[in-house]
Amino acid sequence: MFEIEIDGKLVNAEAGEKLIEVTDRVGISVPRFCYHEKLSVAANCRMCLVDVEGAPKPQPACSTPVSEGMKVSTQNEKAKSAQKSVMEFLLINHPLDCPICDQGGECELQDVAMSYGSNVSRFNEGKRVIADSNIGALIHTDMTRCIHCTRCVRFGTEIAGIMEMGGTGRGESLKIEPFLNEGIQSELSGNMIDVCPVGALTSKPFRYELRSWQMNSTESIARHDLVGSNINVQTYKGKVKRIVARSNDSVNETWISDRDRFSYEGLSHSNRLLKPQVKFDGTWKEVSWEVALDFCVKGLLRSAGESNSMNSLGVLASKTATLEEYYLLQKLVSELGCENIDYRLGVKDTKNTINLESNVKLSDLEKIDHALIVGSYTRLEQPMINHRLRKAALRGGTVDVINSMQFDFNLALNNENIIIPCEIANLLASTLKVVLESTNQDVPEELNKLTITKSATKIAKKLLSSDASVIVLGEHVINNDNAKNISNLVAMLAKNTNSSTLNLSKTGNSIAADIAGFFPGKDGLDVNSMLGKDMNAYIMFDVYPEYDFHNSSTAIKALSDKNSFIVSMNSFYNNNVADYSDVMLPISSYYETSGTHVNIEGEFQTFAASVKAPQESKPAWKVIKVLADLLDISGFNYSDSSNVLEEAKHNIKQGHRAEESINITDTNSVEVIWQPSPYSIDALLRHSDSLQETKIGQINKATMNSSTAKHLNLGDKDDYLGVPVVISSLVANNCVFINANKSTPSEEQA
Amino acid sequence: MNEVCFKNIDKKEPWSLSTYEASGGYSVWRKILKGELSPENIIDELKASGLRGRGGAGFPTGLKWSFMPRNSDIQKYVVCNSDEGEPGTCKDRDILRFNPHSVIEGMAIGGYVMKASVGYNYIRGEFMEPFYRFEAALKEAYKTGLLGKNISGSSVSFDLYTHLGAGAYICGEETALIESLEGKKGQPRFKPPFPANVGLYGKPTTVNNTESFASVPEILAKGGKWFHDLGVKNSGGCKLFSVTGHVKRPANFEVPMGIPFKDLLDMAGGIRDGRKLKAVIPGGSSTPVLTADEALAMNMDYDSIENAGSMLGAGSVIVMDDSTCMVKTLTRLAHFYYDESCGQCTPCREGTGWLYRILKRIMDGDGKSGDLDLLNNVGSNILGNTICALGDAAAMPVESFLRNFSEEFEYYIENGKSMVKDNV
Repeated sequence: MFEIEIDGKLVNAEAGEKLIEVTDRVGISVPRFCYHEKLSVAANCRMCLVDVEGAPKPQPACSTPVSEGMKVSTQNEKAKSAQKSVMEFLLINHPLDCPICDQGGECELQDVAMSYGSNVSRFNEGKRVIADSNIGALIHTDMTRCIHCTRCVRFGTEIAGIMEMGGTGRGESLKIEPFLNEGIQSELSGNMIDVCPVGALTSKPFRYELRSWQMNSTESIARHDLVGSNINVQTYKGKVKRIVARSNDSVNETWISDRDRFSYEGLSHSNRLLKPQVKFDGTWKEVSWEVALDFCVKGLLRSAGESNSMNSLGVLASKTATLEEYYLLQKLVSELGCENIDYRLGVKDTKNTINLESNVKLSDLEKIDHALIVGSYTRLEQPMINHRLRKAALRGGTVDVINSMQFDFNLALNNENIIIPCEIANLLASTLKVVLESTNQDVPEELNKLTITKSATKIAKKLLSSDASVIVLGEHVINNDNAKNISNLVAMLAKNTNSSTLNLSKTGNSIAADIAGFFPGKDGLDVNSMLGKDMNAYIMFDVYPEYDFHNSSTAIKALSDKNSFIVSMNSFYNNNVADYSDVMLPISSYYETSGTHVNIEGEFQTFAASVKAPQESKPAWKVIKVLADLLDISGFNYSDSSNVLEEAKHNIKQGHRAEESINITDTNSVEVIWQPSPYSIDALLRHSDSLQETKIGQINKATMNSSTAKHLNLGDKDDYLGVPVVISSLVANNCVFINANKSTPSEEQA
Repeated sequence: MNEVCFKNIDKKEPWSLSTYEASGGYSVWRKILKGELSPENIIDELKASGLRGRGGAGFPTGLKWSFMPRNSDIQKYVVCNSDEGEPGTCKDRDILRFNPHSVIEGMAIGGYVMKASVGYNYIRGEFMEPFYRFEAALKEAYKTGLLGKNISGSSVSFDLYTHLGAGAYICGEETALIESLEGKKGQPRFKPPFPANVGLYGKPTTVNNTESFASVPEILAKGGKWFHDLGVKNSGGCKLFSVTGHVKRPANFEVPMGIPFKDLLDMAGGIRDGRKLKAVIPGGSSTPVLTADEALAMNMDYDSIENAGSMLGAGSVIVMDDSTCMVKTLTRLAHFYYDESCGQCTPCREGTGWLYRILKRIMDGDGKSGDLDLLNNVGSNILGNTICALGDAAAMPVESFLRNFSEEFEYYIENGKSMVKDNV
């Protein structure tokens, strides 16, 4: 720490700091375009030139390291004249038509030009024009406006990990453009819009909608992944118009995924459920809330028995509710004397699934020196967590993978094990054996018979030799026949190698569901038992059966056949829901209600509603509260969702602890992993048209190798479980990896 | 004349190893391999010789070599800049053609001094003949056991590779050259850090001009003082001057620093018959132009040329007689920089095009009264504000052309045609 002088003021600076970091910290404004605190220094725009005493030429503040006793002027004649020169150069080929530019009003070039530009242009020659190319459904390009700051290029290489934009040509012909004609495909591409200082890259869905100053902005939390990225929701006349990233270094830094940025489009989809409806004699009638709720109460009492012992009521929710909604619904149900409650709709066997804690902070994740990823394509499934892992890898950390398919990771893999799902448990067990033997511990009997493979030794050695390692367990194994074993093995491996664990299978807001106690009570039924029994009544919270259940046809059949009384609360209309329900209550979607998301760190991130729920739809927590009142249940006197949160915090439930046992079963048939494609994981995403248009949104394939295809008698023009077959050697033998944007299988899985 | 780089130029096959060795070539390198010369000795000799970087900047070579962190074990590199692209210069091409072994020996010595076991010679993309000559010489040197790992048991290692560029002027800028050598787009890096700390592949690297490397063996063979005394104060030794333009015998001349420009002009056969000297660009297209009087009064060394108002640069003397239209000449130069700007930083990317377009407009007969002030101002706005010196190179001729030949520009703007009637 030493002192330097800037504009006559003494300020503290740290060795290694760049001048601009110091001026930013102490609040001295230095204009810039290419500098971005999260990207490498390029020093190419030259806007931040300042006068450093002793230097003959003006120096760029972004690339000049501070040194003791340095004297800097950001304002003197030399600095100002250099800055104004650069400003003029930037504007000569830039269109001066801000009124028709979509960036107008939030343009860094426009802002800086107000202070450093001249009011008359001295450039009377023809301006440069660049033809645009279509780079996909999310980003609109207007490259004539590009000032070649290369922020988007650096974002691609440094953060997204794929160089999709680059500079071609030289001199005045330098063009920033994608090298390939395939458009931008990164799952983080929308951040290029945020980093672009001008109107060259703008949001396509938002194009020419509004000016930034016309909108209100509310802070909120994105809920499509386990991170809960911080966002600003920009609204106009009660509608969400755009979402941009909000900086929070401990959560999402300054980045958000495309999923979080563009899903808002679904909010105004014509498929929204907007009015309460009741089924009279098999036909739907729009009714008032009073009538609908009265119908619910009577129906529930009639079908499920007394209001304090509703044993034949089943309550199911999707993974996207808020903590408050989970808590209130759970409280309502338990007051009704019912324990049949579950959110794990996609789990084949809730007794045999993952149960693992997450115990590493996101900001620490980028400091780990080794990661073992089991059953996950983190890049597309949890983009912001993958970003941290990538940072760790760039810092020299290593990453091992155990998957059933080879994925296109954007980080270097040290050791990639592509094995059939039933071998995963064996490999982990074998790894555990190596670990126990090399740390001179007793090897449990179950592991004795195991042969130690080379892969296991490699994986074990890496875990043992790393100081800060993490084992990441992903979604692909939730329905593995050995899911519980895998979960336990990971926990034991972590314990014996001093590794942290990260459970990526708790997607959506399921951590909040666990905390709220949204799982079957001691004598309660889980989802699959409910569907297998004659439940007289159901309350279904934002469930879309063809996507949410592990086996959609069985579930739909069970719900339709038994003539149960079904109350459905949904934000989107759904045919199957209309078929089996008796009442449909329109509820709020994302950004339309206040609530809390609990992220993988266990961090409670509470958000306010950004807009009112449209038409007659209501925030779900209020609907549950009124339903409780009408059922004469006391203790629901909440005036605000924050009261609910306070109460929920005092009643935090622990998910059941897994017993540490291993009992690996063998399977021989073809194994199927069903993973919804990244933009199909919840109803809002499925209704976001632009996202659906992207390459990621279009992913819908059942990938298998040629020998598996032969065995199943399938060709690449066939469908498997309703999904088009792709034959590729990337998948382990005897395994079908399905990445689908359609409903879950309608036939019994093999 | 012709005492260092060109000393064998009149011999038969001057590029061959035998010719080179017959005149004492590789004697210094062999001494080093025998352990008879220390890096400190060599640096002292180079400092005493007054050798300054021959690529144009004129930075003392001995001092530059001493900047390399010598006492660490990390990989270091020496790089020879043979990307000779400045309009007016063609000296490195002839060194590579006629004395490639001096470059190899000079680089090997540099590698030894700076503990860099690997060297690269980056040769301009259009230099096919020099490239093959150099490659052939490299093969000879390897075959004779002068290069490689642990050379004849000396524990000294030096491997040398040739790299052919792809025809970009900017790659003559040392950090753009390094980027290009790494397989990237040739764009200069910002400094600091300097290549001596973070250079090729992130490792300490020294980049020297071909002529600088080629001069080293002879300096060490005959002593720094000998070399220094060939020249004058602040400009030790002799230097290759490429004399081009309206002279009878355009050629490269290796002459002692400080000889009068007049004498150099005479060596080149003087101005074409019936013509008068009008202007001289003494150091390559990026250096300020001088009038005939200024040129005729100056000597060819760093200080004299600076006093005359220009720079010695790479010693690329462009001679213009009275048939030359200075508006056309400057337009052509401006077009060169406009075309060769890498586009990375704003003032150069935008400014070079602006300069060229104003000049082009004047040439097209559409000049306006404020254009000369605008040209001057745009030039000075580029000057000093860019990442590398290409911006400065584009700006400097503008100022000097307008200062020395303003009446020609004013005439062109006013009349829409050149003041020089018989310009070609």
